[in-house]
Amino acid sequence: MSLAARFDRRPVVLIVIGALLAAALGTALVSGFRLATRLREDIAAVQAASALQAYPRELVREVSGLRERLEVRAYAGRALTTLRDSTRDFNERLQALAALDHDPARLASVQQRWRGYRAALAPVLEFRGEPYVDSDAASTRLSADGRGLYASLEHARLYALANAHGFDADLAAVTGDLQASASAAATRLRLLLQGGVLAALVLAAIAAWLLLSRARHERAAQEARERTRDILRTVREGFFLLDAEHRIGSVWSDALTQMFGREDFAGLGFRELLAGFVPETTIATALKYVDLLWGDRANENLMKTINPLSQLEVHSPDPLRREPRYLQFDFHRVTGAQGVKYVLCSVVDVTANVALARELQESQQGADAQLEMLIGMTRTDPLQLASFLDTADAGLKLVNAILRSPARSDADFRGKLAGLMRELHALKGEASALDLSGVADRLHALETRVSGCESRATLSGDDFLPIVAKLDELVAYLRGIREIAARLALTEHAAPASATDAIAPILEAAAARIALEHHKMLRVECNGFDAIPQSLAKALKDCLVQLVRNAAVHGIEDPELRRTRAKGDVGVVSARFARTADGYELTVEDDGAGIAPDEVKAVAVRRGLITEAQAAAMDTRAAIALIFRAGFSTAGEVSLGAGRGVGMDVVARTVRALGGRIGVATMPGKYTRFKIHVPTGGKDAAAAA
Amino acid sequence: MLHERELKVFVEGTTRFFEVAAQQPASIGSPYLMEEPLALHEYSGLIEVSGRREGVVCFTAPKTMLAVMLMKMHETDFGHETMRDLVGEVANTISGNARRDFGNEFRISPPRVLWGDTPPIDPRPGARTFVIPIHWRSHSAKLVVALC
Amino acid sequence: MNAAVDSTLKLLIVDDSTLIRRRVERSQRFDRLRLVGSAADGVEALALFSRTDPDVVTMDLTMPQMDGIECIRRMVALKPSVRILVISALADKATAIEAMASGANGFLNKPFTERQLNEALAELLR
Repeated sequence: MSLAARFDRRPVVLIVIGALLAAALGTALVSGFRLATRLREDIAAVQAASALQAYPRELVREVSGLRERLEVRAYAGRALTTLRDSTRDFNERLQALAALDHDPARLASVQQRWRGYRAALAPVLEFRGEPYVDSDAASTRLSADGRGLYASLEHARLYALANAHGFDADLAAVTGDLQASASAAATRLRLLLQGGVLAALVLAAIAAWLLLSRARHERAAQEARERTRDILRTVREGFFLLDAEHRIGSVWSDALTQMFGREDFAGLGFRELLAGFVPETTIATALKYVDLLWGDRANENLMKTINPLSQLEVHSPDPLRREPRYLQFDFHRVTGAQGVKYVLCSVVDVTANVALARELQESQQGADAQLEMLIGMTRTDPLQLASFLDTADAGLKLVNAILRSPARSDADFRGKLAGLMRELHALKGEASALDLSGVADRLHALETRVSGCESRATLSGDDFLPIVAKLDELVAYLRGIREIAARLALTEHAAPASATDAIAPILEAAAARIALEHHKMLRVECNGFDAIPQSLAKALKDCLVQLVRNAAVHGIEDPELRRTRAKGDVGVVSARFARTADGYELTVEDDGAGIAPDEVKAVAVRRGLITEAQAAAMDTRAAIALIFRAGFSTAGEVSLGAGRGVGMDVVARTVRALGGRIGVATMPGKYTRFKIHVPTGGKDAAAAA
Repeated sequence: MLHERELKVFVEGTTRFFEVAAQQPASIGSPYLMEEPLALHEYSGLIEVSGRREGVVCFTAPKTMLAVMLMKMHETDFGHETMRDLVGEVANTISGNARRDFGNEFRISPPRVLWGDTPPIDPRPGARTFVIPIHWRSHSAKLVVALC
Repeated sequence: MNAAVDSTLKLLIVDDSTLIRRRVERSQRFDRLRLVGSAADGVEALALFSRTDPDVVTMDLTMPQMDGIECIRRMVALKPSVRILVISALADKATAIEAMASGANGFLNKPFTERQLNEALAELLR
């Protein structure tokens, strides 16, 4: 406000000063002109007065001359004429001087004296007769008129002589006076001129300053315009003003060109701006919204919350630009004294942000899931696949059952983690054994979600939402596999086959995979599997997969090491099932590295399962038993093949659920043998699952 | 496939009601997939979804819980009518939330209220059904999201 | 709006939920309002509107019979000075804009706290 006022007031002040100076200068010029005229008159008067000064003596001389001529009887006509002329001249000059002089008093005494002169001279000047009488050639005498003239002349001469000095003095005084007046006028004129010049200079200076400052203002305004232009050209946001008729004003930022693919926006309607990019219904809503901005019905906050263009999906009319973009419009009322003047609209392209959010969301889906599923399936034996699908269904049912048990506290939720990990891990082992990478990947992702929960400070249902969503995804994926398998009739003739038939191939496939991954050579020998009762098939298969994987990963050494230990390059894992007097016995034995109790203890300490002191006090038997504890794993890295410390845990838990027991015999560098004993009439597999 | 994001929108709509109207936030329990028919509580508010997804979202709560909610809302009438209104409002909120977040992707029906002895709801064939327990104070309700 | 001490404003509540109706009635702002009627659907609301000539209306949008937007439009046509607060669970912007464009003066989203209701009513009566 104050800034604007200063800017407005300055030229006014300058103009007033200029006007005053111009008036002063005008006055000076007018009075200067008057003074100059006066001066010219004064100078003329001085000249006239000084010319007059010669006359009194001249008149005396002429009168005397005329008298002498009369005395010698010389021709007097010419002299008389001269006297008449002189008198007339003087008279005329005196009158002219009187006309010139502005001070009538000054000339009064001179005119007084001149009147005396004229009276004295009058008889002479009016003489018309013949002064001489010629009696004879020798003698000429004065006529009567001549004598009269002579007397008049003598009177005039005497009068002139008597008054000459005074007349002189009077004329000198008048001249002096006039000179003084003229010189005073000259001084005044000089002063006036100097003042005028000064005023002119000041005026010129003011004019120059005004012009300069105006130029400066213009330059500043120009610069401001350029800066605004620069801002509007470079800013990444689109800016424009909307008037009450939804028209765009004359100012907008160049970013709009990029966003809407046109150059000129001045006077363009908001509807036309959006047309072709967004559906008509959206435009209608947007226009209604802008209309509300012009009214005062809704306050700013409410208006902000109902902005319909806060994330607008924009489709370019150009068919080559398929990808939709997302524009964020913001509207601000710009108010003046009369309410809303116009609406400032800013537009930001938020496509990148939106795309990122979408990407994060959809990256988990995998567009070619179907294809990958198909490829995985074609590599899998139909029998094994059918068996796996059953196992997976049962496993995921168990997972869901764990989720379903009510939970409110952190401890409730945390208590679910171990069980979830165990089930998921077991399934993952089987899926990767069958090379069903799509399933294994999903199980791995789910397992990662679950294990990610362990490190969280407090667990709540919110942490489990992603888990259940992922579980759902997996269930759907498996259902997809089942449907495709049915369509391809992969499982149809496999349906009646017994589950036990599928076990050996699963183990062999798993072993082969691990051998490949770990650069080992190994062979799985299966015996007596056909004696496995159907009721135990599922549970024992889970155990076998884990035990064989464990033997392959941790037991069997790589060929080089085996050679130093005087063993064949190819490691052997043998799995035997046999009926005993009181139940069944499952043995899994490998001719590998055996279990080193100290190593097991060290790992358990590192995993935080036991303390150093407990480790030191532990005998070999107790040490080896540690491998069945949840959270124990000797595999360093987390991968699909090797464990997260849940493998042997699953086995132990399954065996316990069957009412059986598990034993370990091992000799470092020689072998490891797991022996599982399950009583007949023990709990059946369904209960175990 | 129902995204986690979509699940969250429905859950948030529900918990928002508790936080705003009943002045105490609700927490969600352990969510699971529905495999067998699920018994509903005394009062249920139900919205039907169509468009990009098809199915229903249902908030079901026991009478005792609703009574405490009404108390927290300074309501003195715990009659049948009021209970019905309350679950209706919860369903309304879920629907409003979904409409805001999904826009045109979904079409959502006005809420329908079920009460009394309603038969258990069956898992919809073809749709995966999520059950999300809602805990509020010492009470529990359920949010059932069955969409495909 | 100028409300003299002796003249309270007449209020009509339109909502199919008695719960919401009672919550509005309990608002602190109620000292300036006098309930003249409540309706559970649009048709009933319009009938009550003509009969009671209310100054302030709170309006649900999703109702049986006639939708809230249409109801607002007709009320404003009958009495342009009426002030209408929409109370709705419909949280999408197009609905809010449509309601405001039809003549509503405020929009309150369900669920709401007592404070939000008081503020919305205060804003409406300002």
